[in-house]
Amino acid sequence: MILTEEQLQGLLDTSLATLPPGPDWAVVLEGSIAEGFGNPSSDIDFLLIGRDEADLPTMPSLLFVDGRRVEIRTRSVRQLADQFAALEVGAGRPGRLSEDLLNRCQRFLGSHPLRGHALVDEVKGLLRVERFQEIAGAWWAHRARQSLRHAMALDCLDESAEAADWVRAGLVQAVKSWAAGRGETYLEPKWLSLQLERAGRPDVRDRYWALDAAAGAAQGEGAAVHAYLTECLAFAAELGVTGVPLRPERLTVERASRVTTWQTGERVHVIRDRRDVFALGDRAGAVWRSLVLGRPLPDVRDAARATGVADCGPLLAAFLRYGLIRLAWKGAGTVTPALPLAAPPGPVTPPPHSAAPLLSVHGAAVSGPDGVDLVPLPAERFSAATMALVWSNVVVENAREDLRGALQRGQWQVAELTARRAVHAALRGLFSAYGVNPLPADSDLVRRLPLLPPAARALHGRADRLLGRTVSAPEEGDRLSAELGDFVGLVRDTAGADAFPSSFDSADTWRATLELGYDWLRIGTYLDAALPLEEARDLVASNGVQPHQAA
Amino acid sequence: MADPTTVLVTGASGLVGAEVTARLTAAGHRVLAVLHSNGDIVRNNGKKLTAPQAALRRLSGDVTRPGLGLDAEDLRAVARADRIVHCAAVTDFGRPEQLYRDVNVAGTRNVLDLARGHRVPLVHVSTAYVCGERDGTAREDELDIGQHLGNAYERSKLEAETLVRKAAADGLPVAVVRPSIVTGAARTGCVREFKTLYPVVKLITQGLSRTVPGHYDAALDLVPVDYVADVVTEVCERFGEARGLTLHAVGQAVTLREFSDVLAEYPSFQVARFVPPSSFSAAALPARERAYHERVMSLYESYFRRRIRFDNTNTAAFSRHPVPRGGPAYLRRLLDHCLKAGYLGAAPPRRPAPAPALAPTDGSTQA
Repeated sequence: MILTEEQLQGLLDTSLATLPPGPDWAVVLEGSIAEGFGNPSSDIDFLLIGRDEADLPTMPSLLFVDGRRVEIRTRSVRQLADQFAALEVGAGRPGRLSEDLLNRCQRFLGSHPLRGHALVDEVKGLLRVERFQEIAGAWWAHRARQSLRHAMALDCLDESAEAADWVRAGLVQAVKSWAAGRGETYLEPKWLSLQLERAGRPDVRDRYWALDAAAGAAQGEGAAVHAYLTECLAFAAELGVTGVPLRPERLTVERASRVTTWQTGERVHVIRDRRDVFALGDRAGAVWRSLVLGRPLPDVRDAARATGVADCGPLLAAFLRYGLIRLAWKGAGTVTPALPLAAPPGPVTPPPHSAAPLLSVHGAAVSGPDGVDLVPLPAERFSAATMALVWSNVVVENAREDLRGALQRGQWQVAELTARRAVHAALRGLFSAYGVNPLPADSDLVRRLPLLPPAARALHGRADRLLGRTVSAPEEGDRLSAELGDFVGLVRDTAGADAFPSSFDSADTWRATLELGYDWLRIGTYLDAALPLEEARDLVASNGVQPHQAA
Repeated sequence: MADPTTVLVTGASGLVGAEVTARLTAAGHRVLAVLHSNGDIVRNNGKKLTAPQAALRRLSGDVTRPGLGLDAEDLRAVARADRIVHCAAVTDFGRPEQLYRDVNVAGTRNVLDLARGHRVPLVHVSTAYVCGERDGTAREDELDIGQHLGNAYERSKLEAETLVRKAAADGLPVAVVRPSIVTGAARTGCVREFKTLYPVVKLITQGLSRTVPGHYDAALDLVPVDYVADVVTEVCERFGEARGLTLHAVGQAVTLREFSDVLAEYPSFQVARFVPPSSFSAAALPARERAYHERVMSLYESYFRRRIRFDNTNTAAFSRHPVPRGGPAYLRRLLDHCLKAGYLGAAPPRRPAPAPALAPTDGSTQA
């Protein structure tokens, strides 16, 4: 140990003197110094053990004594016993065994007693050291398997640099598993070099460091990474981490919970956890649509390539990274890689895509054919805004049809109101295309145009003029109709709705409109989103029968 | 085990019949299995049924013929039977009306004649969909209440069950089991053959039928084949308690909305838009989709309109087997099995699939 018994007792006396008077604690030194590691800047970790029945606080007290940082924790005997019991219960499923629990148990078992030796021995006797070594070894081995399987998947997907990093993580975990079996159970990998020195197998030590050094050399080059993976898997197996043969076909692509696919026109949207919407570019969409759940990863990759996207690996890896799919190892459940003593694993969320306008009647804008773009709206608002966009277009068409009828019959005031209705509907569509939802009141739409980017703001004057127009003669009506047509065209160009069918031109275009409406309503219903019209909700959520017509 | 009995099973090679036969022989009963062809009895898991020779006797027969077309020796054996379980039926849709009449109606009449002749108690396997096209709750004690029937299959099954009820009124000991849409095993989703609803799911998921008339709150009642076989076997074994009862062997319905939500969980699956039947026009479909619609989808579309729930009070009170927990989780198991078996998930064919293959007339799935 880098500190003598006398130095430790002195530090303890000084530390205890700063604390309020308490029970007659038993005290141990935990952590790197107690393990025989450490250096002058290492913390001093004291654990005070009492026989209290009440739980003692988990938060440490921080002190600075003689230039050293001292942390003082307290635990009751019962709390320590509970920790050991929980460890035994969790040992059967190392994947679910808490790293914090394992660490607490290890630190206590590896501690150096300073006071109350009898009590310390009594508590340490609750879990045999050999049993703890087994548990810790299994825990590391489980993690090594996850990392190596994940690395194998990335290798299969041509994500070589990332694969190399995970191989390296798996290598650390594998050698930690092996070392735990030889008594080197301290979790923090920082002291791995000293642990390997003490483990008494220079051959293992040397091979580990050689492979660790080779990770850098293998970075980024497919064949080199594959060879590195192969070598590390063989070494891991020799260290006792079995169950990871180099057989990527044992990796299967599985359903991720609460991930659904919704296609509108050609645009594929993937909704994660009913909250996040990913819009997929054409190539990404084709790869996504080629995914058949339950199939081996190499088959999935080949099927994706068959869509014409030769470099599909990074796309599949992105789906995996974002938690849109899950990988499983046959017979061993979901692959859940985690770096040693790092943040818990989980899906990554990319920054939101910043296209403007954001939405068209066919779906969200994308950054390009390979885009797996997070829509910068929560799913429910995305759906509500897009439905509002579709319905706005329907109302525009409806109003223009009404305008033509009113003008034919010389109903000038009806024509004026109908034109205003069309302008408002077009503006609602415009706001919706930029993701505004709920919408401003119709009377406020023009005033709120500054909410939108400059291109959309330019419509302000035209909208104002149209809303103020009056009609008292056929020529004025014709001009109003023409200007309205221009205005709607401009709005559609700005909003990206130019592909929208003119709903009332024919039975086919009306049917196409309805189909688009049904598709969006369906997504909205899945999300329990606000529907723009009660009638729309009826179409999907209720029987769908027109109430005044027999089915 | 119940007291060993001798049971005549018609449709013993069908999906339900094979599983009933397997259960009966495993429980120590002797089964006289009426088979239309000389093939093996294949269980739902695809394995050949193996039973001791004394427990299983194959009888070559045809339910469409009087005496089931059995020879004299077989008829003598039948005369000594303790029960008849009548599973044989044509359950595919879109077949000639006469075939349903021959197999499902005349076949049942022939079975009834045999049962009456020897006073053998009968377990008749019907279908819950004798309820016809209606909404609300279908009760087990209802039969012909003037309902509109969805297709010739349903008409034939209603007529057959009516014959059975008349025979019961004349004193024949009878119990009726009505499965809903028989699908894969409860735990694994495994199914021996992809019939009834499966081709519909295939057309939808492959995007060959994109627009389908239906209501999102319509309910599809899917029942695992193993549960149906369990109930039929139980009725056979505890016939004294089941006599006179009609039992709905049903699962927990999934609405079309749930069905559609679950399909959306599979990246490769297309999800059809269900449109109000009043707005639907098959003529407006693209030519290829129209062909699929007319050949397959139109046969099943009435199931997408019915907001029906099957009351199963009698079954719940009688059976010791818990009603299977259906819903989306069960549907996922069925779809997962379809993917695993390669039935779904393959590239769409270039041309319309042929109409459903001819089913054996000595037994098949119930719908």
